[in-house]
Amino acid sequence: MRLHAALAFAACLAPAAAIFEDDAYHIDFHYALLGLPKHEATFFQKPYAGSKASLLYSISQNQTIGAVNPKDGALVWRQHFPSEPRGRGHLRSGHEQDIVISAIGERITAWSASDGRLVWETTVGSAVVEDLEILEQEDGMTINEAKDVIVLLADSSNSVKRLDGKTGRAKWTFEDTSGDAPFQVSTSPTAIYYIALHTPRLGGSKLRVTSLSPVTGKKFDQYTLNSDAEISSRDRILFAGANTAAPLLAWTDKANKVLKVSIIGTKSVATFSTPADEIVESIVLHAPNHVNSLTHFLVEYQTTVGHSAEVYHVDLKTSTISKAYSLPELTSKGTFTTSTSDANVYFTRITEDEITVFSSVSHGVLGRWHVKRSSALAGAYPVHGQSEVVVKSGAASAVRSAILYSNGQWALLRNDELVWTRPEFLSGTVSAVWAGLPEQEALAQALAEESHRNPVSAYIHRVQRHIQDIKYLPAWVQSIPPRLLGSVLGKSKDTTVDDIQQDTFGFHKLVIVATETGRLAALDVGSRGKVMWNMDLSQFAPDTSFKTPTLKAHSGYVEVRDPSFQGSLFINSTTGGLLSSNSIKTHVPLVSEGQDLVSFTLVDGTLKGFLESQPTSKPVWSFAPAGGERIVSYTARPVVDPVASIGKVLGDRRVLYKYLNPNLVLVTAVVDSTRTASVYLLDSASGQLIHTLSHNDVDTSRPIPATISENWFTYALTIDAASGASSRGYQLVVSDLYESPLPDDRGPLGDTSNSSTVQPSGSKGDAVKPYVLSQSYQVPAEITHMAVTQTKQGITSRELLVTVPSINSIIGIPRSFIDPRRPIGRDPNAQEQLEGLMKYHPLINFDPKWHLTHKYEVLGIKDIITSESGIESTSLVFAYGLDIFGTRVAPSFAFDILGKGFNKISMLLTVVGLFVGVLFVAPLVRRKQINAMWTI
Amino acid sequence: MSRRVSSGLHREIPSTSIHQRCIIDSATLSTHDTMKTSISALASFASLVSSARLLLQIPTTHLVNPSTLPSTTHATLQSSGLPLDTYLTRSNTFNFNNVSAGSYLATVHCRDFAFEPLRIDVSVEEAVEGSGEMKEVIRAWQTFLGNDWDNKGESRGEGGNGLVIEARPVGQKWFYQERQGFSPLSFLKNPMILMAVVSMGLIFGMPKLMENMDPEMKQEFEEMQKNGVMGSGTTNTAQQLQNFDLASWMAGKTDSGSAVARAPSPAGQAKKR
Repeated sequence: MRLHAALAFAACLAPAAAIFEDDAYHIDFHYALLGLPKHEATFFQKPYAGSKASLLYSISQNQTIGAVNPKDGALVWRQHFPSEPRGRGHLRSGHEQDIVISAIGERITAWSASDGRLVWETTVGSAVVEDLEILEQEDGMTINEAKDVIVLLADSSNSVKRLDGKTGRAKWTFEDTSGDAPFQVSTSPTAIYYIALHTPRLGGSKLRVTSLSPVTGKKFDQYTLNSDAEISSRDRILFAGANTAAPLLAWTDKANKVLKVSIIGTKSVATFSTPADEIVESIVLHAPNHVNSLTHFLVEYQTTVGHSAEVYHVDLKTSTISKAYSLPELTSKGTFTTSTSDANVYFTRITEDEITVFSSVSHGVLGRWHVKRSSALAGAYPVHGQSEVVVKSGAASAVRSAILYSNGQWALLRNDELVWTRPEFLSGTVSAVWAGLPEQEALAQALAEESHRNPVSAYIHRVQRHIQDIKYLPAWVQSIPPRLLGSVLGKSKDTTVDDIQQDTFGFHKLVIVATETGRLAALDVGSRGKVMWNMDLSQFAPDTSFKTPTLKAHSGYVEVRDPSFQGSLFINSTTGGLLSSNSIKTHVPLVSEGQDLVSFTLVDGTLKGFLESQPTSKPVWSFAPAGGERIVSYTARPVVDPVASIGKVLGDRRVLYKYLNPNLVLVTAVVDSTRTASVYLLDSASGQLIHTLSHNDVDTSRPIPATISENWFTYALTIDAASGASSRGYQLVVSDLYESPLPDDRGPLGDTSNSSTVQPSGSKGDAVKPYVLSQSYQVPAEITHMAVTQTKQGITSRELLVTVPSINSIIGIPRSFIDPRRPIGRDPNAQEQLEGLMKYHPLINFDPKWHLTHKYEVLGIKDIITSESGIESTSLVFAYGLDIFGTRVAPSFAFDILGKGFNKISMLLTVVGLFVGVLFVAPLVRRKQINAMWTI
Repeated sequence: MSRRVSSGLHREIPSTSIHQRCIIDSATLSTHDTMKTSISALASFASLVSSARLLLQIPTTHLVNPSTLPSTTHATLQSSGLPLDTYLTRSNTFNFNNVSAGSYLATVHCRDFAFEPLRIDVSVEEAVEGSGEMKEVIRAWQTFLGNDWDNKGESRGEGGNGLVIEARPVGQKWFYQERQGFSPLSFLKNPMILMAVVSMGLIFGMPKLMENMDPEMKQEFEEMQKNGVMGSGTTNTAQQLQNFDLASWMAGKTDSGSAVARAPSPAGQAKKR
């Protein structure tokens, strides 16, 4: 018996199809993204003093800190804070230090620069860190040990703190109770300057500069600059430079007509006028941030069509600022970067097609490179960047620049060549849909056309189509030998697919993604997530900002909607071009005579169903949960959800009929005060309540993901400890729906001769209620999102895909492990063993073999979408959010395709061997047969 | 305020269970646990106390060198609401500051290794009975997911503020499935192939054997074949097996004679005739 149980258990373990080691990194792909890097918090830096190579550190606009290897663009480490409110993130690093220091919200954290380990962390309570600087020098001497950190905190009153570089403990605190708006801190070898904006009730702001003693934090001096004529808002301040030998403060007026610069620590203000012949759109000030460098800076003027620049020198002895030279205006967009080498300062001008290096001293060109064109950067211009320059004997011999382009690609250019690009614009993906490939659509269209003609013309059309197809024959014949060779020698051509093309197995499917920055892009999941096209939605609607675009796939095009946009945009899914709504054949949903479509939506906490034909009329039904419950989310059964069998065959060959209502909607609702959660199953056609489940001791502040597929639904919750629940952790609840508790019985449907749960609208009266079987399990970590695999026919068993953010993984739980029919408290009997049921155990441990993401660490996933592939065994999976991840899964093994384990060479050798054997044996057999004839 | 509560209070079936089927295995509950701390009583202390500080440390073992763990390794203390979360430091520890009183599930999340879950209780007690001086006390135990929360395992440490608790790895995670490659040996082990090989051996081997027999034997054998001994012999043995008298054999009947005698008798008779 025990052996039986062990065998049954082993049999059940086996279907947990894991990833093969040689498939990993081939069938799946992962974009480990940071987000759009921030200009002032991105820098090249050596991870520790004496290191040969430097890394590229950045904090992105969504507050992810990371280090990127400048050689290949690979992520070295990153840290992401999902729970931080959107605010300003800061990242700084001291010269020759082995830590980088970040400040996000109230957390100030030091990270090991080489591997991203935590060094120390301090939180500042309710305050928010406004600025962060490293104290490079003290009393004019460079600090060699751990450099201290100066932070500016904004709370009810502002304060400046000096934190110990080794531990993060505060050495002193300076409190400012004046009520000014904190702006920035800046350090100099002798003092720390705290800059605040003093804004009277009327008029502009005055800059108030307070100098503090670095040692004690006591106030040395305070002065106010008369800037109220120009500074109407914060963004008029261009620069408050830190860690240069002469910290600068620069601001401009509303029209960008005048530029005012003051050396921090002096009250004098130098005034310059900006170029008068052009309308200056914005001014950017570039200054070196190295302590020992020359005190030169560059002012960049951006106009609508191009940009120009002026270089200024600061004379420290006389505290005067003078213009040194100006760079000519170019009629193309571009940017400047600053780099230092010893005391020398170099400015690099980067435009779409050229990189030029200048010295800060004179306007002579030290080096010039023509950037090679590349498809990833087509039509995009540089937005900002960082550079490293190597200058030998007065000429720039090499330059490398990490540049953020306007299309959201972060690229590294080494001299004239593009070394890598990172598609950082994908980091804010908010919506994604599967789109078919064009060939498929074209053929489908042609076939549909033929089916609508009379037989003769359809036949002629078909013959013509075939004649036209003959022109592809020579190319196809030519492609056979290399294909055969490649297939036999095991050289997969998957990675070398250049353009969108149809493949035999249907793995090449396009996913169209929309980002919160209003970009739309298409990725080919079959060729490791290659970006096919990438474009800005606002070019079609100039005065709209697409923040939460939603997508809907149609055949050959996608429909884009946004709350801030009237109507919808139609985008060709293969080219990314705009389609006019006239050229689109709208597909009328298949509704037979006398039927109406009901659509439903959440309105003011009530779920309401409307007739699709009359959306403004009175709702057909509405559902509001009782007892002050708040609807958290609702999930409907997928529209396309093929089911192979309408029943579940038991061990004794009897059948349990599945409850397959296509209109099922799962609504989760919570009551925060009593910590209860309820799950309601509704019929969306009638609005009728079909089933209810309720839970106590639920942490309602945590997500309750839910999904519904076939005849089962599942959801996960977190147990709240506050009321002393006797178990702890996270639960997964699974429910199966059957027509009747008895096998071979169709429940209430049994008497009627012609009815089905698949088409409940056809039956009279109320929807039939199912028999619900539930089981709950404990899972070791919190689940935030759920999805179910999809296959073409629904024959393959399904897998529940869950996102587990604590281990940055996506896990596929086989359906057999979460079958609510698992026997409790006893071993399964022979019939249950035949079904593959195993004994109930309260804990479902996440087997590492279930991890679809294996060694990838997938962060910030917002949703998972699945699609069928061309073959039944395999389902395509795509996950998006901060990272992009795609793979394919075969929950019942790849039974209809030869895997890489199939050795074609040894098969050929076996066939050859058998043939040779036959050649040898044939004469023997013939002789024997002849002999046998003669002997009889 | 008494902190000890009779142990019967918390012996209830998990209230989150929604169906009779999801009874969490409570048979192994330890009943002799005297340190049964009431969670609700602990929670009421939260307002009184500032906070406790504790450290989880990953020891260097033969299984794992903690310095090689990825920097995304982090630990959580979950009780209610947002869990306390902290990353792995350079000294291979997780530092939890500001832990308020309560009973926490401590989990170490790592990409490459699995760690045992811990139960960590933080409470505030009087240092000396009656002195009125309150002090944080931290206790840690092994815990078992899928079991009653009061079902604690081995103690993993007890002490005041700044207690260091070991977080032990239980195993490495293996993500990949071994692919069964094609090998001639496994091909030969296939029962169909084995059967084919044996029958091939018989077909080719038997004539050779016959040739090598000495003429007398051969003659006898041919005669036997002619008489159908070989042919009927097999059915005979089958018959013999079917007629096997288990009861008499069990009774220890000295039987080899009778059993053998009975079986070949038809053949023998045929011969005699």
